[in-house]
Amino acid sequence: EVQAAALAERGEDITPAQDRGVLKIIKRPGSEDESPMIGDKVYVHYKGKLANGKKFDSSRDRNEPFVFSLGKGQVIKAWDIGVATMKKGEICYLLCKPEYAYGSAGSAPKIPSNATLFFEASNASELAREDLFEDGGIIRRIKRKGEGYSNPNEGATVEIHLEGFCGGTRFDCKDVKFVVGEGEDHDIPIGIDKALEKMQRGEQCILYLGPRYGFGEAGKPKYGIQANAELVYEVTLKSFEKAKESWEMDTKEKLEQAAIVKEKGTMYFKEGKYLQAVIQYGKIVSWLEMEYGLSEKESKASDSFLLAAFLNLAMCYLKLREYTKAVECCDKALGLDQDNEKGLYRRGEARLLMNEFELAKCDFQKVLEVNPQNKAAKSQISVCQKKTKEHNERDRRIYANMFTKFAERDAK
Amino acid sequence: MAVDELQAIIQRCQILEEADFKGEDFNLFQVAGQKCLETGYAAQLLEVIQNEKNKVIVKNMGWNLISPLVRCIFMYKHEDDKREHCLKILDQLAQLCNPKELFLSLLEQIEQTSGEQVCQTVMLLLQPLQTVLLKLQNKKAYSVGLSLAMIMNQLTPLPVPYTKQQIQEDKFGLCQCCNAVVDFAKPFVNEIVKNTEESSEYNDMELKEELLKFCMKSLKYPLLTAQLEQIEGIEEHPFRHFATEIIDILWDIRELIPLVFLHRKSRGPQWENQDFADIERKNSADSLACLSYLMFVQHFGIDCFPVVFSPSYLLQCNMTHIEVLLKRTEESMLSKGLDLFESCLLRMEDDGLLHQYLEFRDFINVPQDLVKIMTLCPIEHLRKKSLNILQLFIDKFDTEGKYTLFRCLLKTSNHAGVEGYIIKNIKDQIHLSLTKACDNTWFTGLHLISLLDLVLLLPEGAETDLLQNSDRIMASLNLLRYLVITDCESDNRTGVWTMLAKIEQNFLKPLHVGLNMSKAHYEAEIKSKKENRREAHSSNTVCSVTVSGEKVPAMTTEMQLQVLHSALFTFDLIESVLARVEELIELKIKGVMDDN
Repeated sequence: EVQAAALAERGEDITPAQDRGVLKIIKRPGSEDESPMIGDKVYVHYKGKLANGKKFDSSRDRNEPFVFSLGKGQVIKAWDIGVATMKKGEICYLLCKPEYAYGSAGSAPKIPSNATLFFEASNASELAREDLFEDGGIIRRIKRKGEGYSNPNEGATVEIHLEGFCGGTRFDCKDVKFVVGEGEDHDIPIGIDKALEKMQRGEQCILYLGPRYGFGEAGKPKYGIQANAELVYEVTLKSFEKAKESWEMDTKEKLEQAAIVKEKGTMYFKEGKYLQAVIQYGKIVSWLEMEYGLSEKESKASDSFLLAAFLNLAMCYLKLREYTKAVECCDKALGLDQDNEKGLYRRGEARLLMNEFELAKCDFQKVLEVNPQNKAAKSQISVCQKKTKEHNERDRRIYANMFTKFAERDAK
Repeated sequence: MAVDELQAIIQRCQILEEADFKGEDFNLFQVAGQKCLETGYAAQLLEVIQNEKNKVIVKNMGWNLISPLVRCIFMYKHEDDKREHCLKILDQLAQLCNPKELFLSLLEQIEQTSGEQVCQTVMLLLQPLQTVLLKLQNKKAYSVGLSLAMIMNQLTPLPVPYTKQQIQEDKFGLCQCCNAVVDFAKPFVNEIVKNTEESSEYNDMELKEELLKFCMKSLKYPLLTAQLEQIEGIEEHPFRHFATEIIDILWDIRELIPLVFLHRKSRGPQWENQDFADIERKNSADSLACLSYLMFVQHFGIDCFPVVFSPSYLLQCNMTHIEVLLKRTEESMLSKGLDLFESCLLRMEDDGLLHQYLEFRDFINVPQDLVKIMTLCPIEHLRKKSLNILQLFIDKFDTEGKYTLFRCLLKTSNHAGVEGYIIKNIKDQIHLSLTKACDNTWFTGLHLISLLDLVLLLPEGAETDLLQNSDRIMASLNLLRYLVITDCESDNRTGVWTMLAKIEQNFLKPLHVGLNMSKAHYEAEIKSKKENRREAHSSNTVCSVTVSGEKVPAMTTEMQLQVLHSALFTFDLIESVLARVEELIELKIKGVMDDN
């Protein structure tokens, strides 16, 4: 077994700064040619010892390999550097100076201050790709790492180079500057907007978009894209400028911007781009919902924006079939204006679609109290009644045999 | 006679087949048995139960005796023989009765107790309960889960002993009881461990889930509320012991590490309905925060934790938990939150935390929570601690991070004392960047000018309440004085000389005006108070103040005058620093003019 002394003597310096902070000796070379990439999920089995030979950690004691995302600062620097050089199946030794490990602070209770660490590690990964939102919707493979850790936030202005492929054919190639969340204005699908928020300056990556994050049901006739097509984009984030955080804006600025984004949201809504519309209206909520110290005039304006935002968000969520969120938005709208006809009606619609017939009926009845002429509400009430009856019938049929079944089971 | 009645029903049932036992027989048995116990014939009852011939009867009818049995055990003194007999009867019943029925009977007994009786009853019945559960075949996991849930439900209303005295007294027996419950759970944990090594069956998933639920509940109660530091004079701290045991259980059922990393893995599509997932997440937030505290502050279970994470990442992961704890108002939870925060920060080197971390929502929320604690929390040592931790947090960030944090806190803290503290920090940073030979762009030049815009002004111009804002104003003046002294106009590294005109307009002039107005106002008040004192003292209290149920007595005129005088003193103080600053400015400008 290789000891720390051997590493110090003939280990390879793998630090970018060449300061001998991390020395490596390969015990057994790996099987594949590719090293893992930034953002990849890597699985590592390892044993760690202090300079005095005392073991402080071992993944084998836990019976499972240690998993982490490479190159993201989740682990000590020595590991981000060291594991990046390990091919799949490789086993190696690493000697890490404290500046690349736990430094002067150490890590209570096991690692003392200024400790040099010794690792034996083996790369047990499948080279996984990164699932950005853990729903299979956007998969990213980074070709070239970006700098720093900063990402564009929603509303940031980005400059990108973009190439889009569908079914192996390229349908789009351009350099474009736009605001994150408004990519639609340049025929860019929402998945790119979402992915940009996780990219770094200078990063070049490949994105695999599922239909929900692509052009969806509408497809993109302009490019000859069918409905629900899977798309592949290669994106380079050349530069970006972040949008202001809510706490950096004063009330006057927020109210001015609110007017602008409300219009944008409405425009997207009319075009059927509901995900983008949600982003715009959502800004109004995040800026104004918790704003304090408003003058009376400002308060009125703010409430008016918030009411419109909540009502419109509810409409969007109805279209997106996220009914719980639709109800939440209606609740908030009604919190500002308890007899709001639209709010009550939309909440009724959402509840109806969630099969909460009684509650839906109540809402529609309230609509009629506010505006007796609302024919749509009237017809919805009869729909509720009809559905309630259907459900009761079904329940009756199911439960009829239930007790007999239980008795049979208990007897066994 | 009770014993005779008992004998009678026994004899009758001995000749019957099991299936022929009638409801009437059950009743008679119960009544007779109860009478025996209550009239002091426990020994005889024990004999009957131990008799081999009566095995079938006891098996079917024994569970009925639990309630009177428990009553009698509590009635008799410890030394009493009869109590011994009763305990033996309890043991026998556990061995002989139908497990399903006895289980329900025991559970019912626990459910019916309350208050002071709860712990006694639970501790008494844990042994028979365990015996019975181990015998169950079907639905064992469900029953174990039900028992643990029921017991914890009964314990939850009890107050958690907090001080050393309370723990030693253990008035309701909670300390003892909790540890008895983990012992009770051990055989089931062992079963899971054994089965996991062999293979995984469906049943084990259920048992594991039930034990997991129990652990999560225990983390919330009593552990989150308990005081978990080592206490001098107490060898075995019952709650520290309990915590260690819970963590051991989690480790044994292989849930410890997954729980600590909950945010990294989505816990599978367990809930179809997103709402349920949200509710579960809210409920488990407290438990998970407590778990992090146990691991990173008290180091319980940290042996199992991988030692390769970067300290910044640990902080990032723990911020959610810290936020959960710091949003509470109970001392036990706040102090845990502060300890957890402190422990994460102490693992990092100064200036090492990248400013990009401030993009995470909780990195902005948590310092604001600290500000709330240090200004509003009624407990002094917590206020002091949160101030220390805020400074620690500031120290860990790189320069851009410090800059952003200062901006954020100046805008959001709404408290003159905190603002003054931040301004002092800004001064220290400027000092560092002027004295060290590093190129620090954040506390010199354009960035600094933008920051100073927030500092060197009066929030409401000349009408600012100078008294309310005195901390902040003094800090700003001191900062300005420092800048004027240290930064030569020729150098102008801080940009203060370029901004001079603006500073005079936004800060110094309105400050003069404000001071004059305030002084005039207060002097007038003092004069009128002195005159009014001679007149009749009419009690025209416009409003009264009640604190903790007691009405605060109205201030005497003497006291009011004292307050007014001390306000004047503050104004004088501000004025004198202001004068000095202006003097220095003039000197420097004159110096430059003379040079030219």
